[in-house]
Amino acid sequence: MIPEKLRALGLVVTLGLSLILTACTVPLPPTEDIPSDDRAAPRPELRDVPGIVDPDNTGWPRGVEGLNGVVDIPGQPARIITASIGHDEMAVALVPLERLVAVGAVSKDPTYSNVAGLLTDKPEISRDPETIIAQDPDVIVTSPYFPGEGVDALERVGIPVVQTALRHDPEARLDTILLMGYIFGEEERAAEFTAEVQQRYDDLVAITGTKDPRPAVLALTRYSDQIWVAGEGSTEGSVIEAAGGENAAAAAGISGNQTISLEGVIVMAPETIIIAQPVAFGAEEFRQDLLDDAALAEVPAVKADRIHIVDSKLFTTLSYWNIRGAEELARILWPADFPNPPPEGFSRAE
Amino acid sequence: MGGQHTLRSFRRLGVGTRLAIGLPILSVLVLATGLVSLRLGPVPIKTLEVVWAALSAMGLDGPSVDRTAQLVIEQIRLPRIIVGAAVGMALGLSGTAMQGLFRNPMADPGIIGVSAGGAVGAVTAIAIGLVDLFWLALPVLAFAGSALALLLVYGIAAVGGRLSMATLLLAGVAVNAFLGAVISAIIYLLPSEGPLREILYWLAGGLDSRSWDHVRIALPPIAVGAVALVLSARNLNLLALGDDEASSLGVRTGATRTALLAASALVTGSAVAVSGSIAFVGLVTPHVLRLVLGPDHRVLMPMSALGGALFVMLADMAARTVIQPAEFRVGVLTAFVGAPFFVFLLIKNKRQVYTL
Repeated sequence: MIPEKLRALGLVVTLGLSLILTACTVPLPPTEDIPSDDRAAPRPELRDVPGIVDPDNTGWPRGVEGLNGVVDIPGQPARIITASIGHDEMAVALVPLERLVAVGAVSKDPTYSNVAGLLTDKPEISRDPETIIAQDPDVIVTSPYFPGEGVDALERVGIPVVQTALRHDPEARLDTILLMGYIFGEEERAAEFTAEVQQRYDDLVAITGTKDPRPAVLALTRYSDQIWVAGEGSTEGSVIEAAGGENAAAAAGISGNQTISLEGVIVMAPETIIIAQPVAFGAEEFRQDLLDDAALAEVPAVKADRIHIVDSKLFTTLSYWNIRGAEELARILWPADFPNPPPEGFSRAE
Repeated sequence: MGGQHTLRSFRRLGVGTRLAIGLPILSVLVLATGLVSLRLGPVPIKTLEVVWAALSAMGLDGPSVDRTAQLVIEQIRLPRIIVGAAVGMALGLSGTAMQGLFRNPMADPGIIGVSAGGAVGAVTAIAIGLVDLFWLALPVLAFAGSALALLLVYGIAAVGGRLSMATLLLAGVAVNAFLGAVISAIIYLLPSEGPLREILYWLAGGLDSRSWDHVRIALPPIAVGAVALVLSARNLNLLALGDDEASSLGVRTGATRTALLAASALVTGSAVAVSGSIAFVGLVTPHVLRLVLGPDHRVLMPMSALGGALFVMLADMAARTVIQPAEFRVGVLTAFVGAPFFVFLLIKNKRQVYTL
């Protein structure tokens, strides 16, 4: 027999332990319950950004809608992977480098990447999901070109993945910066950076936008012996337009990047040709071949020796660096209006 | 019914008569296609200017022509059309030879690994950046790849000194599969995605930006191989009777097969080197012509040369004009047209199409 007093003591202890255990297992209040005083105030610039589910929600978790559906980001990500070169370039501007835990090999290649020099020490990932999982990221932002099976695999292990498209128009670029800032919990820095990018764009088009007539500019590359031209909707096309030129290929009805014959160059009659191809990949030889080809002798750009090799990574990447490309091209097209070189780069997150 | 009867009657005519009727018709069609092709393109050029410019390009005198028109004809359209005709001729001829040699209507120039070997050579040249250093690297490596693939297939099939056609076919299948894997591995291991588009475009086959240099690379070996193949037509007929009958009629079967294989590889390798892989020409051309002309290789061989040339020239004309000033891939067009047409022929002529 258990004495009465001992039984009563046992009951009290059991009740007490139950209370303690209950208290310990009560879930933390959901982010929605965070008192409004602890949250940042909603930012008006986020209102119309495609992909932000609730612009008023500046707490965690927060939802974003990528091309792969609505994704919940549980907390501010400390370890970030942006698995495409355009996204890597954006991320470098938005978060301190130590939060970018790994990048793709292309982003470290100075031929293609505008931020290669900042990323030399970063571990490399590939499209194999395991190489990404090994870096233990809190969030992954990538392009639609990342394989769907890879996204599924990453989501199955509980990593939030947001696939976003990178478009060519300046407005879409600003939206992407704001969306990425929201994903990373860096809304303020994103707003500051979009203002900087917008300012550079506005300064440029304040001059180039007034130009009439606009010179016909053709963006060409040659790989092996195929000649490629950048038409309507291409990145190079958007750079040409921003620089105050008319994309001759778009005017001729070419959409995207297509192959053409030299005859196509003749019929488009560009006044300026830009070769957005690395010198290591034969840009000099291509330029010389265009100049030497007797069939092209009457093409205005050839006749006036206005064939320019440009820094291809400024013209082909899908990020704010295209504005730098447009600034370079504007100096070629309108040297009197742009006597001084533009700033080398853009600001970075502290 | 009337059409079938006419075809049967035509096939019963003598070899000389069929050639006397067929060769001029196809030659005129090839020439007419060439002239129309010269006329069409992004730069508008009048028909008479095309004629004068073409004559001038061939060193003949005529009225003077606008300089740009002259150069477009001379430097851009004419070499491209000639390369297209040569490639079509090569593929048509080697397809006929392969189908006759293997007595298999599904055989095509790729069956002995030549196309895949050429593709490995070209893909390697692009992947390691050799094409950026030296433009001839691509055709040279493509041709070398074709030759090596043929040697490999032949080496496997000729073990013991006797060439077995069954082993040759299987060796071709194995080497093709292996080379396909090599191409996949090269693409997978590319350090960047830059050359990927180039590789895929090359694999789709095309004639864009072909120059007189390409004519000089491809035409001599194709001409030599074509002559050898046309001259082998009688022996190919005899081989179709079986080895014993062919031997009793004086054919050195082993040497003849080796010569036919070498000539086919030479013309196919040369074609692949300047155009990439253009599908269906070698498969469809002999089929169509066999239905019209019958299985005699003495008729089929020269007609396949012209038929293949006509097929590729028409496809290239479409590729240059359907989305001009941009261009489409010739290899994609030949497959688009060739595959459904081939299926149509199979269904419509179930019996005849298999008669070799």
